[in-house]
Amino acid sequence: MQVYLPIAEMSVDALLLLGIGFGVGWLSGLFGVGGGFLMTPLLILTGIPSPIAVASGACQTLGASVSGLMSHWRRGNVDARMGLTLLVGGFLGSVLGVQLFALLRRLGQVDLAVAFFYIVVLGSVGALMVRESLGAILQRNRDGQVRLHEHFWMHGLPLKVRYRKSRLYISIIPPMLVGFGIGILSAVMGVGGGFMLVPAMIYLLGMPTAVVIGTSLFQVVFVSANVTLLQSIQTGSVDVVLVLLLLAGGVSGAQFGAAMGAKLRGEETRFLLGLLVLAVAAMLFWGLVQTPEQAFVIEPAQ
Amino acid sequence: MKVLALLALLLAAPGTALAQPSLVAELAETQVEITTGFTGASILVFGATALPISAQPGSPGDEVLIVAAGPVQPMVVRRKVRVLGFWLNGPSATFPDVPGYYAIAGTRPPWEMLAEPDRQERRLGLDTLPLRARGGQASPAFRAALLDLKQQEGLWAEQTAPIQVSGGQLFNARLPLPATVATGDYTVQVLLIRQARVMARQELIFRVQRVGTAAQINALAVQKPALYGLACIAIAAFAGWLGSVIFRRG
Repeated sequence: MQVYLPIAEMSVDALLLLGIGFGVGWLSGLFGVGGGFLMTPLLILTGIPSPIAVASGACQTLGASVSGLMSHWRRGNVDARMGLTLLVGGFLGSVLGVQLFALLRRLGQVDLAVAFFYIVVLGSVGALMVRESLGAILQRNRDGQVRLHEHFWMHGLPLKVRYRKSRLYISIIPPMLVGFGIGILSAVMGVGGGFMLVPAMIYLLGMPTAVVIGTSLFQVVFVSANVTLLQSIQTGSVDVVLVLLLLAGGVSGAQFGAAMGAKLRGEETRFLLGLLVLAVAAMLFWGLVQTPEQAFVIEPAQ
Repeated sequence: MKVLALLALLLAAPGTALAQPSLVAELAETQVEITTGFTGASILVFGATALPISAQPGSPGDEVLIVAAGPVQPMVVRRKVRVLGFWLNGPSATFPDVPGYYAIAGTRPPWEMLAEPDRQERRLGLDTLPLRARGGQASPAFRAALLDLKQQEGLWAEQTAPIQVSGGQLFNARLPLPATVATGDYTVQVLLIRQARVMARQELIFRVQRVGTAAQINALAVQKPALYGLACIAIAAFAGWLGSVIFRRG
């Protein structure tokens, strides 16, 4: 069944998009991440132009994260103060990121920049996850020392604030920097950034795991809402029909994924997710080095 | 119905044919509507000539040529270059006046029907399009790539839909419009050619426009981008919330 996308100005197979939404939703439910990092490259592979895929990907991430945020909020797993600190950085980062994206679009380098960002970010995050989870699987039977977190230079920074729910007393600078970085990536890659935010909160900020998912969803929802708004104003490339098709598939897929995810162990889940992330990075890398079918590309001038 | 009525009228009056213009042409529709289910369309051009149509080379009969062109827009052509093993967009050329759509169909190819200077002047054929890059020093490869890619997209077509002739004097041709056609006013020229000379010419117009939901969404996104962005946020958040409610109960 073909559906015309009013912003992308092209007609696409609705069942294919529902299928992509379902598949990505299933994986995101399984691994507890938003899935934007899979959605945007898949959309580009099906022929949706990169600017539309990135901007609409951010909007669909917002929809996919709302229900998760609501259930975590009800259970009290959201550190709102930490979330707001991340958000201040996230807003600044996404404003800068959207400007960067508009500049890249004028230069005609969006495709390259999006692919490059994905390869670097997914490649390093995937490799870290595989290494860490493999280590955890191998060490499972040994008794490790349980440490809250290590103290290093970061803890000497000024502007300290007490984050009660996270049981932390740290400077606001590191969480704001983390939020800022994720905000930029969110605008350029069309992702919520949960897959980077979660490890950053655990390993960098030393937050307890219980509040990490809820707080990251808090940041993801608001930053992706900001990116959606800024992208529609600046580049006009959010396609609401595309977003709805992806959400329709994604929301149902996520329920099946979450049910299955409950049966897997944490390290094994992280190991599989790491492999998946690496596979997407490898696929995009291949797309950049392989000789293109067409030596030229055409597009309407801005 | 309009088609049949006109054809019937033309057929019923062979005796008065000489008093009539030597060419009558019409479009089956003057509106192409892009709805949310749009997958492309085609435009039927039909008409009749006073004298019998003959596509035999060297014969004295009439011949018909149909040219359709869409709104002009600037296009950028970029060449892919390899840097450190990666393929990226390299040098570019901007063509300011590129017809978004161009299709030509004739009883014979235009270069067989008309003398070369005449054909060039009337811009009949893809090779006659005035594609000049801004600045003017772009390599001819960019122009060739533009021609090639536009044809691959199905937006430029030469002789893909041949003219059908029935009863010697009635002709019709179907010009394909792919799903990616731009909105705007399109012109269709119908030329009557006799012994390498253009004897009559008729210009017809049709409009491609978005209608219904597709039109409303696009209009809102273009005219009130901030409101559209807020609406997208609200719709996505609502859809996410609704989904979680439905599946929790189910």
